[in-house]
Amino acid sequence: MDDLTREFLLESQEGLDRMERCLTDLETHPGDTELLAEIFRSVHTIKGTTGFLGFSRLEALSHAGENLLGLLREGQLAVHPDIISGLLSLMDALRAILRSIETTGAEGESGQEDRAMIARLEKLQRPGAIALAEPALAAAIAAPAPPGRTKHPRIGSKRPPARRAAPGSARFSPPPAEPGEAGAPPEVELPPPSAASESRSAPGQAAANPERPRTETAPPVSETQAAVTSGATDSTLRVDVELLNRMMNLVGELVLARNQILQATSADAGFAILGRRLDMVTADLRESVMKARMQPVSHVFSRFPRLVRDLALSLDKRVRLEMEGKETELDKSLLEAIRDPLTHSIRNAIDHGIEMPQVRIASGKPAEGLVRLRACHEGSHVIVEVHDDGAGMNIEKIRRKAIERQLVPPQRAEQMSEREILQLIFLPGFSTAEAVTSVSGRGVGMDVVRTNVEKIGGKVEVDSRPGQGTVLRLRIPLTLAIIPALIVHSRGQNFAVPQASLTELVHLSLGETDTRIEWLENTALYRLRGRLLPLIFLDRLLQQSPPERTAPCDIAILNADGRRFGLVVDGLADPEEIVVKPLAAVLRQIGFYAGATILGNGEMALILNPGAIAQNAGFGLSAETDDPAHDPKRAGHHDFLLVQTGPTQAALPLETVVRIERIPRSRIERAGARPVLRFEGMLLPLDDAASELLDAGDDPEAQTTVVVCRDGNRQVGMTVSQVLDVTGGRELEEAGTGAIANGITLLHERVTSIVSLSAIPSIECVPDARVIDYNLPSEVQP
Amino acid sequence: MNAVHASPTQEVCSVQVGDTLYGIPIAHVLEILGKPATQPVPLAPYFVGGLVHYRGEVLTAVSLRRLLRMDPAKAPEDVLVFENPDGLFGLFVDSVGEVLHVSAAEHEPNPATLEARRQALFNGAWKLKDRLLVSLDPERLDPMRLASAFPA
Repeated sequence: MDDLTREFLLESQEGLDRMERCLTDLETHPGDTELLAEIFRSVHTIKGTTGFLGFSRLEALSHAGENLLGLLREGQLAVHPDIISGLLSLMDALRAILRSIETTGAEGESGQEDRAMIARLEKLQRPGAIALAEPALAAAIAAPAPPGRTKHPRIGSKRPPARRAAPGSARFSPPPAEPGEAGAPPEVELPPPSAASESRSAPGQAAANPERPRTETAPPVSETQAAVTSGATDSTLRVDVELLNRMMNLVGELVLARNQILQATSADAGFAILGRRLDMVTADLRESVMKARMQPVSHVFSRFPRLVRDLALSLDKRVRLEMEGKETELDKSLLEAIRDPLTHSIRNAIDHGIEMPQVRIASGKPAEGLVRLRACHEGSHVIVEVHDDGAGMNIEKIRRKAIERQLVPPQRAEQMSEREILQLIFLPGFSTAEAVTSVSGRGVGMDVVRTNVEKIGGKVEVDSRPGQGTVLRLRIPLTLAIIPALIVHSRGQNFAVPQASLTELVHLSLGETDTRIEWLENTALYRLRGRLLPLIFLDRLLQQSPPERTAPCDIAILNADGRRFGLVVDGLADPEEIVVKPLAAVLRQIGFYAGATILGNGEMALILNPGAIAQNAGFGLSAETDDPAHDPKRAGHHDFLLVQTGPTQAALPLETVVRIERIPRSRIERAGARPVLRFEGMLLPLDDAASELLDAGDDPEAQTTVVVCRDGNRQVGMTVSQVLDVTGGRELEEAGTGAIANGITLLHERVTSIVSLSAIPSIECVPDARVIDYNLPSEVQP
Repeated sequence: MNAVHASPTQEVCSVQVGDTLYGIPIAHVLEILGKPATQPVPLAPYFVGGLVHYRGEVLTAVSLRRLLRMDPAKAPEDVLVFENPDGLFGLFVDSVGEVLHVSAAEHEPNPATLEARRQALFNGAWKLKDRLLVSLDPERLDPMRLASAFPA
């Protein structure tokens, strides 16, 4: 394929994408002449170029479309759903031919379908054709205001001379009047095309592009307009994704080299500065390259208005699509990867979620269903939500279906929590659709969504309320290439555990390995804050020999898609940002590895796949995550740190807790009557709630436990006798008034008072150095 | 490359594994890594010797010793890097020797008495003056192919 054709394909595809967007918009704004002009332009560009390149099928089809669009644009025809449908299917036909050109280099034989399509478009040009349309459909869109004779002059289209010489001009098209034939002056009133669409004119292509005068070389007809468009052309550049991939790889290499240099030179002070500089430059470079690969999610979202429209029409439902956060950016490859899962999810939302209009009205909802698509950043993830206000999922129905389809044994299904039941929809072969429709119900879908999202290191969560709808949340990592990981050792070998699934670490010393790990038959368990957590021994899992028993070990507590378990390893090394390198297919088949990486010290490490390990062990979704304390979304629930202060228990809101420290008494000083603590260069006021300090006696080496908390902009410390637990508490309502009681909460079914941090009197927090100046108590005291 | 094939003689890279000398046409060898650091892969198919780091990529390397069911090597091994349609892979050998010139006339197919596994792996041998040089075809050493041809 020559460059010209390739350029043409890219440009045409972009044109069609734009056209699709505009067409669905047009349905809601039927009178919008600018939209019509934009659509016309896209089709016209394809027609002009195809003639030049000798693609006669494309030319014939786009010519028919252009005729219809011309009538619409001139106001001789009104926009109607039938016309939109006709144009959309024309677009599909054009896409199919473009695909054929891309794969085979030729557009294929023109046949019956082309003739049918052209006939359909011609029929739509006759005003009478529309009268036959179903009244329901006609009512579905607002009656367009007849725009009258459009004020837009016809699009600038002095055809390129080459076109006349091109073989195979419109054979099947008997045009009533060909718009744009009259050699009108170049269009100036059209809105400036987006930067993306204009950045594409390559020199070779420009010759074949009828709009060429509007972009660069021709003398500007409209000064400002020309300035805008040519500016956009100059500042953007089309780059091959392959090149970006290669750059990403190289940057990955640089990160590795940087890590090695930093490790090798850490002892040398002179190198340290150079090393830090290298570190900064590398980080910047990495960020820039990553940015270059980022694309707004609107690239994927833009297809959904059409999808929703077609689906709603075919199912006789009324659905409105709202999109939010279209500008959220995501790595190009990830964007491609979520296209299918998202499409599936939207189909499901419309087919299973949104009810028929009469059902909705009966249950007091507006007849028109709402599907909301929302993208936003959350830390190093992008969250994409598909929300519908439909019927929600019927837990009992899912439970029944799962038993019926033998996806879970009946006894187990009866014991499952709501959350676990909801997860069943992700099992292969699950579908609750009563009837198989063309849209869904064939039992594929949600499992595909989950597999695809997990393949890119993402997660899928589902939340559903009966009668109110369902939210499907896709959590996608920002980038695939570099992930933070913890390096662990097992039998002298390195393994990397992705930080994303790591929740906490537990160290067991030599004596504790026997006592703290408990056995239930062959299952090893660890009591984590009173709850039993299943354990997997990495060396045994990987059949590494010889398995040692009595050695200190570490437990990495992992959460893989709601499955919590402890991975027992020999030891921990540093957390590191690792560059994920793919493994050969033979090793991917093992399943436990997500890839390999080269560490800063030059050694290699296999990256573990916690999800696959949990699945292999057959862990169900742990009941622990079902605990309300671990579900922050539930209203009225908060996590608290439960502490013993002298004889009583007290609760500290967990989100305020900064650190828990064991501190020798000698470090606690006094400012007047108040105990204060020097902590990270700041002076903390201490609340001696437990009277720990009074009881202390004189031993300066005795230790006391201090919980450091955040209170607004300041930090305060609180002495406690013992830290007991982290647990969830519920707000208590006062009887009669229903008012939320302040200062107390229900923890472990006991009413517990919440420590009021703001009640701890403040001292002026001063930098460490100044403590010496102010060590006279009277001066510190406010 | 065409010149190599067209000429009656061929350049092969000689490698030693155990007592046998093997030859691999030099055109197939992308690079030779001298005693690189390796990383074993638990649960990998038996013929995988481990991972090696090659120009920023992590290569899966096949161990000729393991493939031929020989005892593990006592000393660090050299690795040859090959390219297959899916990417790169490596081959562990005891040591890499010199480049030899062999001619097609010296080549003979595998003897019928050779054990089946070796029949499938070897591509005949060249008769050198004082010993045999077993011909290896990197295509047959592709890990994916080995996985289907010699499962466990």
